[in-house]
Amino acid sequence: MRPMRHHDIFGHSARLAPAALAALVLLGCARPGSPQAGAAAPPPPGVSYVDHLAAGGILPPGLVLRNPHAGDAGVAKGGALLFKSMNCDGCHGGDASGWVGPNLGDGRWRYGGADAEVFSSIYYGRPKGMPAFGGALGADGVWTLVTYLRTLPLPPDLPTESWEDK
Amino acid sequence: MLRTALVMAMVWLGAAAAGGAHAAAAAGREASDGQWTMPSKDYAATRYSELKDITPQNAHSLHPVWTFSTGVLGGHEGQPLVVGGTMYVVTPWPNVLYAFDLTREDYPLRWKYRPDISANAIGVACCDTVNRGAFYVDGRIVYNLLDGHTVAVDARTGRELWRVRIADLGSGETVTMAPIVVRDRVIVGASGGEFGIYGWLKGLDLNTGQVVWTAHNMGPDADMLIRPGTFKAPYDSGADLGAHSWAGDSWRTGGAPVWGSISYDPELDLLYYGTGNAAPYDPEQRLGDNKWSASVLARRPGDGTLVWAYQFTPHDNWDYDATGAMILADLTIAGHPVKALVHFDKNGFAYTLDRTNGRLLVAAAFAPVTWARAVDLQSGRPLLDAAKATGSSRGNVKGICPSAEGGVSPSSPPAYSPRTHLFYSSTNNLCMDYEAWRASHLAGTPFMGVNTPYSAGPGTGLGSFIAWDAASGRKVWENPERYPNWSGALATAGDVVFYGTLDGWFKSVDARSGKVLSKFKVGSGVVGNPITYRAPDGRQYVAVYAGIGGDWALLAGDTRSDDPTDVRAPADYIKDIARHTSQGGIIWIFGL
Repeated sequence: MRPMRHHDIFGHSARLAPAALAALVLLGCARPGSPQAGAAAPPPPGVSYVDHLAAGGILPPGLVLRNPHAGDAGVAKGGALLFKSMNCDGCHGGDASGWVGPNLGDGRWRYGGADAEVFSSIYYGRPKGMPAFGGALGADGVWTLVTYLRTLPLPPDLPTESWEDK
Repeated sequence: MLRTALVMAMVWLGAAAAGGAHAAAAAGREASDGQWTMPSKDYAATRYSELKDITPQNAHSLHPVWTFSTGVLGGHEGQPLVVGGTMYVVTPWPNVLYAFDLTREDYPLRWKYRPDISANAIGVACCDTVNRGAFYVDGRIVYNLLDGHTVAVDARTGRELWRVRIADLGSGETVTMAPIVVRDRVIVGASGGEFGIYGWLKGLDLNTGQVVWTAHNMGPDADMLIRPGTFKAPYDSGADLGAHSWAGDSWRTGGAPVWGSISYDPELDLLYYGTGNAAPYDPEQRLGDNKWSASVLARRPGDGTLVWAYQFTPHDNWDYDATGAMILADLTIAGHPVKALVHFDKNGFAYTLDRTNGRLLVAAAFAPVTWARAVDLQSGRPLLDAAKATGSSRGNVKGICPSAEGGVSPSSPPAYSPRTHLFYSSTNNLCMDYEAWRASHLAGTPFMGVNTPYSAGPGTGLGSFIAWDAASGRKVWENPERYPNWSGALATAGDVVFYGTLDGWFKSVDARSGKVLSKFKVGSGVVGNPITYRAPDGRQYVAVYAGIGGDWALLAGDTRSDDPTDVRAPADYIKDIARHTSQGGIIWIFGL
């Protein structure tokens, strides 16, 4: 029997695939676990993707997370690149409109839509299959993605879908 | 190691010689006693039952006699089993196993088994959290869990006998296929063609679950269990084809998953199974034929030895998995009896092969095809339309038929009736554009790099249900359907054929003409496979799951109602499907 492979590439950026690595370097965020600006506490430890930590979505008491790149269009553009190169699109769809993972552009959020909540979802993972990417991306990489997701144009929230009166 | 393998091979040759006749007799008995003990009814994967109480004359009076909500909303692919007085049902994740007592009036549960299963599997399954069914053998139910385990459960008590990890979520492997058991080997494979897995088939010990052999679907001969003098491909020669037909070491992340059904010929002692798409979706990242992705492989169940292989779609450019059923039938072709293998491929061609050696006998399009003009019977290769080649340097390539959903989904297994000599299959009438870009491989995340918007194909309806003559490669009749058709087929000795539709109709039709005999709206789209059985009350019944899902949970995301935070626009080629159906897992039983 062939032994199960052990996957430890996250946290070891030297083994990241070239395209992802290039995107990270381009964004200046190839430093997993680098401290995020605006945090009142030490940075969360890097977590391994394979652990798929399902954290439950409540931040440690006293920890305030603030997006250091909020509203920065250049960072958002980098985040769009990162969204593809980290294969986020493989689950959430090319325009983040949903595939096996939920739509991220409908203005509705399973685990909260505030910057800090979206950060937590990406960094720590969520229990319905969202892996923890904090170890791979580092805090700054995650903030870059959050900044991109914030720029998605929200459609009007229409709770009704009607097939009559068209 | 080598010595051990040789000894094992010899032991298995002996067992095969002694057990062949017994296995054949067992398969024959199961075929005629009114049970349904294997996913595809028999080793030949015919989905044909000898039961004939239901006929074209009386089918109009079919009506539901019992239903049960599984409590699970994922796509209900696969089918129940009926063994003696018990019906067994496996749900999508979390893969609950129900055992219903058919000897009592309201079919109460004898027991239910709720396996220890990881929720992390949900995020590693490409295309909904489906399960394609269980296998019954010697008092045991054997099936796979999405999170990469195989379990054996006592069929009488529901007690877990063993639970063994066979696949690795961390590298993108999940398990959705139904196992097949041959003698004391449990044969399993993993999904993950969208995650760049190193695809494989494994043989487990039925008594312990221990992995006895692992055979990769590509890579060097040693990894593929190609042993000296054992392998003869009908159209290829040379060592290490599974590695040399991939640029560099791209075979290591080349996909070729196993998520469809497996069939078995006891006389030849050969397993037949199809492999999925090559990964990633940008073919320029893996130049070469990419053997043996998108192929059919024939192996010895005892030790996994590869005997022959044939590739339907060399250098897959279009996500044309070949994981659909390999149906074994003895046909007469041009006046000659042939041990045939018939396969409806995602690439839109139906293939008839000689199953003793893998040589191609017939190949004809059963759905609209633009990527190739035909399949050359001399070389076994498709004659490509160069304008439909895809890749990251080619931009958006338009007008490719079939779509990445396939001319038929491998999730929708066909049936074969030895009475009509016809094969019955669902089809999809969809085309696509294909825009690929270079994908980065991060183990456990999607390894795709593609955008493939779909559109309606030519002609009437987005799908159909067809009867096919595999000896001549000819469509005999076709029932157009409004939506892509995604259910499996069931054929019976009463000359009634059954299937379901994506908008939730369950239909019985005349096997010879396709005329609809009965239809009933089952509450959710049908992506499962109907079965039939004789119950303890002596009557013939037909069972099927309702429960839209699989790719359709993703493509028509507005059929969901369970998550207020995930709201999606309807797909533009199938805008009104949500008007006719929504999610919901229900077991239906019909009787006269």
